[in-house]
Amino acid sequence: MLEIDELSVSYLPDKKAVHALGPISLKVDSSDIYALIGPSGCGKSTLLHVLSGIIKDYQGQVTLNGKKINPKKHDIGFIPQNFGLLAWKTVYKNCLLSLRIKEKAITSSHIERIDYIMDKLNITSLRDRYPRELSGGQKQRAAIARSFIMSPDLLLMDEPFSALDALTREEAQELFVDMWNQYKTTTVFSTHSIEEAIYMGKKIVIMSHCPGTIVEIIDNPLFNTKNLREHNEFHKLSAHLRNVVKKGWKL
Amino acid sequence: MKSLRKIKTFLQGFILFNILWYIIASIISMKVLPKPTDVYLNMNHLYGKSLYIHVLVSLYRIFSGLGIALILGISIGLIMAYSNLGSKLLNPLVYFTYPIPKTALLPVVMLLFGLGNSSKIILIVFILVFQVIVAVKDAVLNISPETYHPLTSLGASKLQVFINITVPAILPALLTNLRLSIGTALSILFFSEGYGTQYGIGYYILDSWMRIDYMAMYAGIVVISLLGFALFILIDIIEETLCKWKATSTN
Repeated sequence: MLEIDELSVSYLPDKKAVHALGPISLKVDSSDIYALIGPSGCGKSTLLHVLSGIIKDYQGQVTLNGKKINPKKHDIGFIPQNFGLLAWKTVYKNCLLSLRIKEKAITSSHIERIDYIMDKLNITSLRDRYPRELSGGQKQRAAIARSFIMSPDLLLMDEPFSALDALTREEAQELFVDMWNQYKTTTVFSTHSIEEAIYMGKKIVIMSHCPGTIVEIIDNPLFNTKNLREHNEFHKLSAHLRNVVKKGWKL
Repeated sequence: MKSLRKIKTFLQGFILFNILWYIIASIISMKVLPKPTDVYLNMNHLYGKSLYIHVLVSLYRIFSGLGIALILGISIGLIMAYSNLGSKLLNPLVYFTYPIPKTALLPVVMLLFGLGNSSKIILIVFILVFQVIVAVKDAVLNISPETYHPLTSLGASKLQVFINITVPAILPALLTNLRLSIGTALSILFFSEGYGTQYGIGYYILDSWMRIDYMAMYAGIVVISLLGFALFILIDIIEETLCKWKATSTN
């Protein structure tokens, strides 16, 4: 369980504190998947950076499974917007990176898991390629594989699908939900697409303008529904979301 | 293969150059510009006359100079990139000394370190080290902050970050720099071997010149050129092995 209590973050450019986020309080149950939606610059990335241990300077409490969040103690998978693959490592070495950094001995069960996940994400044939030789969708899948391979306590994704073209995005979303259903990793991701939030988020968190606070948390009944657009409820929910979003974003 | 292609280009250049040389030498027809064929035929002959000792001595000086310059330059460059204090102290010094023509320091170096090998090596180090410092510092500062994010979120130690990000990220810049440095090193070597030594290919050329042994002088020039080219190819091979991720193109 991920607990965020009165979290707020300020930046200090030119000695003038800019309040970027919060205060935010949020509880994410284990095996839940939360979508953060909000206008650009509302602090979605900032929140994810706090959760992933990149930003260490914040007020408030963030605990994961009862302990203060710390990337050295927790296994946190973080997929940034540019996928975060290291240009000088092949796909396979990128996938192994999480285990290597955690200094886990790579056992045969690891190898089995790696082969399984790479196969499932359809990147086995790309294992000896370098990131620059991959398309956006392929990089994305490699990044997802890398995160799932270490079976993280918490998976974070910063606008994971926004760099992909429409067709690739749908495919990638389906693949991701498929993977997620299998491993049920606690996940928080940010998006600016209402449709993506409805398709991939069990709970949808709507955030306000900078400094980002939570406007509303919606239980999403349509999570993981195929052919979303054919459902009546989808239109209702997205209209509602749009409404809240508009109001919240004006605040 | 990049280096194979380079060797081909070299051979083409070599042949064209020699044809030109031959034509000009035939037209001028003076003793100071012998035909290339005569020079090459004469080279066999010189091998027995311990030309190779001069080559070995020069190689020793170049490699020592390069090695020391790299070790010092990389360390100082890293300190400047990673430590604020280091950068504050060293930056003005590097900035000030960078444009000084260090060859002008030859007499000073010789007065301080004697006529032997060490003064020649130190002069090479003096000239190369600043380029290495600047290249390493800039390469480290050019790594975008996002590159570190995936490793930070995995809780990587400083050493792990250094091995997995810093080293591979600065290698291409370092090798490019090394390529330029080798050209410079050879010029300085030639210059410094004009003083206080009986060995080295630079000495060999100047000595032959003074003795009006033009055949030997040209042979020396050919040898020092080949030396430069061999070192160039060596760097290409290193680059191809270590920076595969950069050399390969899409598909």
